[in-house]
Amino acid sequence: MKTKTKNYARWVFVLPALIVVTVLLIYPIFSSVFYSMTTKHLIKPSYEFVGLANYIDVLSDANFYRAFFHSIVWTVASLIGQIFVGFTAALAINRVKHAKGIYKTLLIIPWAFPSIVIALSWKWILNGVSGFIPNLLVQLGICDQLPQFLSEGNIVFLTLIMINIWFGAPMIMVNVLSALQTIPQDQYEAAQIDGASHLQQFIHITVPHIKVVVGLLVVLRTIWVFNNFDIIYLITGGGPADLTTTVPIYAYQMGWGTKLLGKSSAVTVLLLLFLLLICIFYFWIIAKWEKEDK
Amino acid sequence: MRKKIAMLLFGVMLATSLLAGCGEKTQPTTSEESGELIGDITFWHSFTQGPRLETIQKVADQFMKDNPKVNITIETFSWADFYTKWTTGLASGNVPDMSTTLPGQVVEMMDAEAIIPLDDVIDDIGRDKFSEKALGEGEKDGECYSVPLYSHAQVMWYRKDLLEAAGLEVPTTWAEFAEAAKALTKDGIYGCSFPSGASDMMATRFLNFYVRSAGESLLNDDLTANLTSDAAIEGIKYWVDIYNNCSPKDSVNYVTLDQADLYYKGKTAFDFNSGFQISGVQENSPDLLDYIDCAPLPKLNEDDPNYGAETSNIPIVVWKNSEHPEICKEFMKKLYGEDTYVEFLSATPVGMLPSISGISDLESYQSNEIVQKFSNAEKVISEAVELGTALGFDDHGPSVQAGMLTSQGVIEKMFQQIITNGKDVEKAARDAEDELNKLFESVQ
Repeated sequence: MKTKTKNYARWVFVLPALIVVTVLLIYPIFSSVFYSMTTKHLIKPSYEFVGLANYIDVLSDANFYRAFFHSIVWTVASLIGQIFVGFTAALAINRVKHAKGIYKTLLIIPWAFPSIVIALSWKWILNGVSGFIPNLLVQLGICDQLPQFLSEGNIVFLTLIMINIWFGAPMIMVNVLSALQTIPQDQYEAAQIDGASHLQQFIHITVPHIKVVVGLLVVLRTIWVFNNFDIIYLITGGGPADLTTTVPIYAYQMGWGTKLLGKSSAVTVLLLLFLLLICIFYFWIIAKWEKEDK
Repeated sequence: MRKKIAMLLFGVMLATSLLAGCGEKTQPTTSEESGELIGDITFWHSFTQGPRLETIQKVADQFMKDNPKVNITIETFSWADFYTKWTTGLASGNVPDMSTTLPGQVVEMMDAEAIIPLDDVIDDIGRDKFSEKALGEGEKDGECYSVPLYSHAQVMWYRKDLLEAAGLEVPTTWAEFAEAAKALTKDGIYGCSFPSGASDMMATRFLNFYVRSAGESLLNDDLTANLTSDAAIEGIKYWVDIYNNCSPKDSVNYVTLDQADLYYKGKTAFDFNSGFQISGVQENSPDLLDYIDCAPLPKLNEDDPNYGAETSNIPIVVWKNSEHPEICKEFMKKLYGEDTYVEFLSATPVGMLPSISGISDLESYQSNEIVQKFSNAEKVISEAVELGTALGFDDHGPSVQAGMLTSQGVIEKMFQQIITNGKDVEKAARDAEDELNKLFESVQ
């Protein structure tokens, strides 16, 4: 009797967490998988089971592949940029002797703002008529006419990537900086006595110590950046001419534009599968690194 | 043991409290015996601007004072947010008791059986006071599901000072318009911005102006899309030419507010909009208020008759999920009370024109300073209101297809393909037409 009560109590305490996980995580995933095999329409009450028809439709749509390609470019370019800028900033701040906190605070500012504020601010700053940067470039004589950062086909995607790098780099910086501060200084001192150059110290001491942290950051950032919707949608809406349409925007347009929730769900399930594969690959590499370290 | 039971209870309470928010609230019902109104209603509207918002709140406060057992909760959303809110809320029952909406969306709401007929309200206010055409926009099987609250129509806005300085007359044809717009594109001023952001319907609106001026429609009689008629192809080429010669390049991504903002701030010589342009200019560039005016939409030929391309009779609807439709209906009648209605319209004078007759002649309506100053604009817009319909309703009446013309961004993307990727106009029009028809099929 005593044992039974103890078991109940245990379940009751985990019940809130179980409910939250079920409602917020498991239910949406399973409902997406279910609806992806139906003709579910956003405002129509009835729908039919259609098996894999939505997946076939999506996978035979050229726009999906274009959006997928944009997502890959968006993720890879943003990640490389964010890691490069974040890493460089972390290495620089790590060497600062005074007022390190102030620099850290200043550099973290972009990350502290809600993305809607960031998106609308950049849209305003880069506005092709009255934007600060285009007008400054003309006044400085760098450009003859106002550059159209958000509508010129050749530069609009690059502009968005730069904004995303600016936005995401501080997060990398803070994490890398924390990892850098855990490296024992005596290892550097020993390397210096042995005559190791700065580059050798970086490759043989710094990198091995922080590579797992950076690896985990890459996993998280890959998921976040690949799924990023708000910055692109708020600045260009996926345009012009779908030049900045990524998979999340494609899925949104499918679900909320055409209201075809079945197809939209199929897109999100495909997105989930792709990201799962990427994560499995990343975790395999990280596990290998950890094994090597041991 | 007691301690464990107490902890067990605490855990259950914690879990229950998590679920508590999911429950439906119980509402008291209207007393049928006394006729006294009892209950809570939620009213969603899209009057996010100050004076309109305040006026509606004031009417609600007065209504609650007159009916002490009624509580009206007002929530405001932009038009775009409202569409997302109700379409996503419909499945879960998370829709309001009553709301404002757009004419094109009423058809979707009727189609989804989400709203109720309001013929009794219309009869109580006076059916003969409403325009038959406006009531028809919310009609299905002989019943009216929406009541027009105010009306406005698209007209051509221009800057008198810029035209005068350039020695130009107000254009009356599309050819004159293009010529004037090109001539005025200089010194940081754009002749006319052509907006084609895919998350809005501005390019569809502009193309519709041209197509309607040729007496044609963007929909065929069988409600399939028509973007390949001679008028549509000419219209597409016309607006691409305007974009290339008179418009800021960023306008390829512009939505309603981006577009209006340019005119408000004196950056464009021409624009197409309703009387809301006046309050926008007044707020942003009061010095320009003396230099703006409007004229009927340009025509194809000088001797063509005036036409109306797009009239918006902004309606109110009552949702089927409402537990208190009787309160909603009484509140609606209150909104149409003479003094209340004039006060509401005066919140955006000339922007919101009365949807019922007998208001515009009232002394209280005419005494408004802006109404007096922009009497020509009011006349031009009122005439356009009479001549036009909601976009796509023109020759065929309300249809889901008409709503989809403006909600899918297909025409906007077509323009973006032509402008950004240099896609051939005929091919782009054909592809967009096919895409729209495919979408139309998906809802049938």
